Amino acid sequence: MAAAKRLKRVAASQPGFLNLKTTLDSVDSSSSRRKRVNKNKKKNWNKHSDINDVEDFLEDVRHQERTTGGLLSEKSDDSLFFLDVGKPEKAEQKEEVVVGKKRRGKTSRPLRIDLILQHDSLVPPAKDVLAYQQPNAKKLRRIAQKAEQLAAKGIVTRRQKRLANRQPLDRKAKKSVTEANNNPARDYYDIWGQESKDSSDPWYLQQTGKKLVKRPEKLNDKPSVLPAVEVIAPGGSYNPDFFSHQALLQEAHAVEVQKQKEEDRIERQLAVNQDDKATEDTILKEQVEGLVVEENDEETAPNEEEDDVAVGAIVLAEKKTERQRKREKADKMKEQQRHSERQQINQQQQLFQLRSIKASIKQQEEKTNQKQKLRKANQEAQKSQPRRLGKLKFKPQDLEVQLSNELAGSLRRLKPEGSVLKDRFKSLQKRNLIEPRERAKFKRRHKLKYVEKRAFREIT
Amino acid sequence: MGGLQKKKFERGSATNYITRNKARKKLQLSLPDFRRLCILKGIYPHEPKHKKKVNKGSTAQRTFYMLKDIRFLMHEPIVGKFRDYKVFVRKLKKAYGKTEWSAVERLRENKPTYKLDHIIKERYPAFIDALRDIDDALCMCFLFSTFARTGKCHVQTIQLCRRLTVEWMNFVIASRGLRKVFLSIKGIYYQAEVMGQLITWLVPYQFAHDHPTDVDYRVMATFTELYTTLLGFVNFRLYHSLNLLYPPKLDGKAMSELKEEDEDDYAMNSECYLEKLSALSASLSRVVSATEEEDAELDQFPVEGEDTEKMEAREREQKQQEAQKKLFEGLKFYLNREVPRESLAFVIRCFGGEVSWDKSVCIGSKYEVTDETITHHIVDRPNVDKQYINRYYIQPQWVYDCVNAKIRLPVEDYFLGVTLPPHLSPFVEEKEGDYVPPEKLKIMALQRGEKPANEQEEDEEEEEDDDEDDEEEEEEEEDDGGNDEEEETEEQNLKTMQEQSSQGKSLQVKVTPGKVTVENKARLEQEEKAEEKRLAIMMMKRKEKYLFDKIMFGKKRKIREANKLAAKRKAHDDAEKSKKKKARK
Repeated sequence: MAAAKRLKRVAASQPGFLNLKTTLDSVDSSSSRRKRVNKNKKKNWNKHSDINDVEDFLEDVRHQERTTGGLLSEKSDDSLFFLDVGKPEKAEQKEEVVVGKKRRGKTSRPLRIDLILQHDSLVPPAKDVLAYQQPNAKKLRRIAQKAEQLAAKGIVTRRQKRLANRQPLDRKAKKSVTEANNNPARDYYDIWGQESKDSSDPWYLQQTGKKLVKRPEKLNDKPSVLPAVEVIAPGGSYNPDFFSHQALLQEAHAVEVQKQKEEDRIERQLAVNQDDKATEDTILKEQVEGLVVEENDEETAPNEEEDDVAVGAIVLAEKKTERQRKREKADKMKEQQRHSERQQINQQQQLFQLRSIKASIKQQEEKTNQKQKLRKANQEAQKSQPRRLGKLKFKPQDLEVQLSNELAGSLRRLKPEGSVLKDRFKSLQKRNLIEPRERAKFKRRHKLKYVEKRAFREIT
Repeated sequence: MGGLQKKKFERGSATNYITRNKARKKLQLSLPDFRRLCILKGIYPHEPKHKKKVNKGSTAQRTFYMLKDIRFLMHEPIVGKFRDYKVFVRKLKKAYGKTEWSAVERLRENKPTYKLDHIIKERYPAFIDALRDIDDALCMCFLFSTFARTGKCHVQTIQLCRRLTVEWMNFVIASRGLRKVFLSIKGIYYQAEVMGQLITWLVPYQFAHDHPTDVDYRVMATFTELYTTLLGFVNFRLYHSLNLLYPPKLDGKAMSELKEEDEDDYAMNSECYLEKLSALSASLSRVVSATEEEDAELDQFPVEGEDTEKMEAREREQKQQEAQKKLFEGLKFYLNREVPRESLAFVIRCFGGEVSWDKSVCIGSKYEVTDETITHHIVDRPNVDKQYINRYYIQPQWVYDCVNAKIRLPVEDYFLGVTLPPHLSPFVEEKEGDYVPPEKLKIMALQRGEKPANEQEEDEEEEEDDDEDDEEEEEEEEDDGGNDEEEETEEQNLKTMQEQSSQGKSLQVKVTPGKVTVENKARLEQEEKAEEKRLAIMMMKRKEKYLFDKIMFGKKRKIREANKLAAKRKAHDDAEKSKKKKARK
């Protein structure tokens, strides 16, 4: 090291040496008065001799070594300078074209960015001592040695024994909990065979909310008596019998006719009434309105005035005399007596009408019976009908039907009609398991704003 | 009087119902969650009798639930899971927003899930309850298993549905329970008898999907979620009832047969087993190794009177069923590539037949086309290039019609290129006096063991010459009138003769050898019975007589209508025939 240092110093002292930092020169010139100091003591040498220039110089040398990879003065001129001869134009391009052909083979050439970033200082990076050291190396080595010895002897330590005896961690148990319901490999078991395990106290279970509440019996009733799968009519066969096919077509036709009727009805209601349309007559009348004075108006006017007068009068009733009152009372009494007598006679007469009364009662009973039956039948019929469960009414799906010319002769050429998915969905609705719904419509929260782009506006 | 004033809508039906929105708020669930919960727990909306009272005076249409039902829902542990899930989604969103991937992973791992086992047990306390409700589950699972694996629903659900349906089909095959099949334009209807329950389900045709937009997929997926669980448990129980292993294992023998070198071409190793199961060609292995089950015979009880008739009828039915179960036993089928493989394989195997197909169609084929022992080759194209002599080439409808008729139908009507007889619905059961299509009559005659020689002759004759039309008509009329008394037919004969003579045709006058009228014992007996009946009618009271007449009138009207239809049909057939003839000329 020392030799190298000296060599550098020698090199630096030579007149050709270049300083990297230009500030060094200015320091020397600023010395004013020399201080007198005894230089016979080593202590004073250290204290008062100026070594700044040497240190600066050494710093500069180190700096150069660090950054440029050696002393600048030792480098050749070619590595430091180049001759600027303007743009290297076509000659170089041609060269590149030539190179371009060979390019494919030259993948190993380093990138320019890597070249720039390459470490080119002469000073090696500092060594990381810790990377080579292992903490507790001595201890570990000792333990390993001991373990080897024991193994050679065939002795198993207590620690090892405990490790071996430890139960393996049950990872599977946790996984089964998180298994999804639709896992295609899930397993089933006999759910009806085993009785529920009532190990713990029912009171405890109930209080902690772990006991399942008993399902009410009523919930097991089905909301409709319809079967789950309704088989299509025989006309819906892929190769149907002629008549059953016709019957199915007839049915589908009836449905269509009904629909058409409904549509027509609405159309009719919406249509403009012919009487409301303006004819030439009415147009003329409108134009002439108010120009021609009719005589009728004059005649009707006075009548109205008379009516108004009549409304205003109040007719006062005259007072009844005593006699009149007495007579009225007597009449009333008489009337009442007659009435009661009549009733008595009627009742006596009913004794002789017993048969007819009996008959009428019987008739009535029959009537009520019939009505009851009818009502019951209606209720039964209602059970198989879809109920009104929400905003929308149940709409049966379109009948699946194939026209005579659509029928396929063979199974291969059959084109399936309708969709099973829709059939199932409608069946669920029909059996009152779900309420009929509409697909939610997309609603825009804010209105769209239309703005012409400037570029577009300039064109138009 | 006095006392407190009664407030409106605080008692009676108004307090028994609750609107959907209120119920939702009470349970603290979002609407989709609430809907899902209701479907899973089997709680359905209810239409109150007096809506205005329930709706507190308003007549707006609302969805109502019973308040007690909603109170019952509040105890459900799944509600808590739904809330957990909501929180989970919120956390996940947040983690995503912050791009904290480790957090996302951790959350994903601890995704809250739930099981429906306890709900199944609660809704179907006994196995038989579940079996009665299995129709819906089957339909839904079969439907979902045919879905394309696009984003419409979870792929896992589709896989699970496929697995369950395959298990179900294998069970039906093992139990030989299939009864009816109906090919409709919508899909294929199957009916099977499982533990005495008739179970009907609908299977869509393969590749026949357009996704309708007005169906709520979320609701359907929820139903499927419940039904997959239900079907799984039912399958388990059914397999064990037959001593089959569950999850199903292929028979060892069959397994080795199916082992092929090029298995990897069909499916990945993980899917291979399910694929083989779903091929339906191999039988399943049993817990108790295949002992030939002896057919359990019906116990005989000494019975008297009317019961004996019933017993006999039942016995006959039993016998018929046994025969039906062995319908295709001993037959070897080969499916051409254009026929629906799964359906046919399922049906054929259900009745004991052996079935195979081309190797490239599906895994699990047992023998090649070149096998000499094949008895039936099912083809659905006009002709086949290379035909073997010792097998029938038939159209697929034969298989289904045989199943519905419960006998092996003559194959002639189903040969290649022949116009098929109509495929009748087996789900229609005609009452007495209803119109029965002639094809069905034919099949019924075959079932009774009669030979349809008459009609065949007829066809042949007709093809030979057209001049004998008149005679044929007579014959046919005789056929039709066979059920009625002979007198009527004679009358008709006379009538037709008269008509012919009036039309100017020469009567066929023949001298026929006389016949000795044989005293028929059976006939005498019948006459006696008829006489007795007539007397009984005469002895009736006026009221009863009136009722009786009414019933008889109704019956006659029905018969009249049926006759009308039959006549129409005949006219139609004749027209068709003449058309054909013209075309031939």
